[in-house]
Amino acid sequence: MTAQIFAVIIFAGMFIMIVLDKIERHWVTLGSGVLTLAVVFGICMRSGEAIWNTLALKDFATKEFWYQVTESESSGINWSTIIFIAGMMVMVEGMAKAGFFRWLCMRIAYLVKCRTMAIFITFMLMSAVLSMFIDSITVIMFLAAVTIELAQLLKFNPVPMILSEIFCANLGGSATMCGDPPNIIVGTSLGLSFFDFLTNTGLIAGISLAVSMVFLYFAFRKEIVAGGNAPVDMSKLPKPSEAITNKKDFIVSSLIFACAVVLLVTHATTHLTVATIGLFIAAITLLTAGKDALKLLKKVDYKTLIFFVGLFIVVSGLEETGILKLIANFIGDISGGNVYLMIAIILWISAIASAFVDNIPFAATMVPVIQSLSASAGVPINTLAWSLSIGTDIGGSATPIGASANVVGTSVAAKNGYPISWGRYCKKIAPATVIVLAISTVYIFVRYL
Amino acid sequence: MAQLIISVGREFGSGGRVIAEALAKRFGIPIYDRHLITEIANKTGMTPEEIEKYNEAPKHHIVSRSVRGFSNSIEDNIAEMQFNFIEERAKSGESFVVVGRCSESKLKVYPALVSLFVLADMDAKIKRVMEIYDLSESDAKEFITKKDKKRKRYHNYHANGSWGDSRLYDLSINSTRLGIDGTIDFLEKYVRARIGE
Repeated sequence: MTAQIFAVIIFAGMFIMIVLDKIERHWVTLGSGVLTLAVVFGICMRSGEAIWNTLALKDFATKEFWYQVTESESSGINWSTIIFIAGMMVMVEGMAKAGFFRWLCMRIAYLVKCRTMAIFITFMLMSAVLSMFIDSITVIMFLAAVTIELAQLLKFNPVPMILSEIFCANLGGSATMCGDPPNIIVGTSLGLSFFDFLTNTGLIAGISLAVSMVFLYFAFRKEIVAGGNAPVDMSKLPKPSEAITNKKDFIVSSLIFACAVVLLVTHATTHLTVATIGLFIAAITLLTAGKDALKLLKKVDYKTLIFFVGLFIVVSGLEETGILKLIANFIGDISGGNVYLMIAIILWISAIASAFVDNIPFAATMVPVIQSLSASAGVPINTLAWSLSIGTDIGGSATPIGASANVVGTSVAAKNGYPISWGRYCKKIAPATVIVLAISTVYIFVRYL
Repeated sequence: MAQLIISVGREFGSGGRVIAEALAKRFGIPIYDRHLITEIANKTGMTPEEIEKYNEAPKHHIVSRSVRGFSNSIEDNIAEMQFNFIEERAKSGESFVVVGRCSESKLKVYPALVSLFVLADMDAKIKRVMEIYDLSESDAKEFITKKDKKRKRYHNYHANGSWGDSRLYDLSINSTRLGIDGTIDFLEKYVRARIGE
């Protein structure tokens, strides 16, 4: 009982500190993680085994961690997620350095002859597709910057376009296992594959993207067309090729990206785990970078990796002390065994929570909850997994602070003289979020129940 | 003249801005206060009124989030633009007076910096604010408290050290003791001594 109380206090304290944003979030989770190990496992439970299980260092020595034939679930620190994210960070740094993203944005703008509405449509699509494989922060960082540059040259208001790109990035991220951190956590914890996500959340995202693009088109059409009708002098625009800083690096980084996509799409067949893929991609990027390898390594966002380590330990505290089982039982009780209600609760509570708090800690906490709920209520775990993924990924779109892409997009806009207030953001994007969540709920009901 | 940067922190109603303006005039250097707003307005296309709304304001923690150095808070972004602006001016070797904007901390690395903080007795501040803003005594007091609270939160969020803490500045001075003009004269002498004139 004492262990449970401390686990909850540490978890709640961590969440409050993350929201207050006084101390950098990676120190918050790491500090909370150390407290969990010392107080909950060490002092209260006196269980060396719980500490050992949570640190999950033995995972590295198992064959399944690198090469997985049968699905297996993991607990404690989810090293697969951490290694995969680190690997992708190295690859993305390599691509950014070579000028890949800027080149792609400018190339597409050129292809559509810089017509404002065509840029709007193609950038939304590009945002969704890129976010399926690359973290949405990077996608939006480049896309928003190029959008503003084009807006200033072509004299249109970039805000509706940036808002739509953010929304589509979050939607694209929900389509695959590696698109959004909650999906990586859900996938690696439950032994799901890239293809599992693509054929389930991917289909939901695809339908939702089509509907959302229509919605966003009608929502923003007037603002985008206004002022953007002047004849375009293409000679004034920077050439796509100017974005490439080094041709050799550009080709190599594009090939590595293609390789990462192929490895991810086929990983259920090749049995290579996401950890192996992450490590391989990082290694190949560093090897081909030559003397710039150290620079790339230095650019990796270690704070996020530390954040994950601490977070997984704190969540293990809740799991080992049985708190998450209690939450699962509670959800089971209030839904009265009604599977529809259970799914709706998971999806919508995840969405509402993710609209206001970081969806990564939320997803990490909810994974053991749905595992427990699946075991006790007899609902297939995958159905609950898709509900959780969609809820956390899409819910984050609703407000400017719901997901990382939103923060980065609104920040890039503000820095360039286009401040986006909460009202401005939520007016069109919150309804779009609700529409997608409604579509997803109906889809899950119809397909899985 | 070698580079001179005068940073003036101030309590609301202490006359800090007037003192900063006078110092700028006496040393023949530009002052960045309102100018920081118009400069950013020109650069970004935002109106000065829009910027004013978020100027030297602390962010609202509950509705803000930061990710890898990016923040959705408009207050944060405006603050960062202003910090970058004064940093650029300082780096370029220009001499200037800057009012507020955590400049005593943000420009600490520049040897040309002379950092001042102007405070005043509450009665004197109330009197001044009543005159300038045509307010009743209680309204003036409330206004001062509100403004200073906002400045303090803004400062302590963006800079290390407490707003108004004398350890943060080269010189803290109560403008009530010598009056505004006397304070200006005194500070001019101090700055001249600092630059070896």
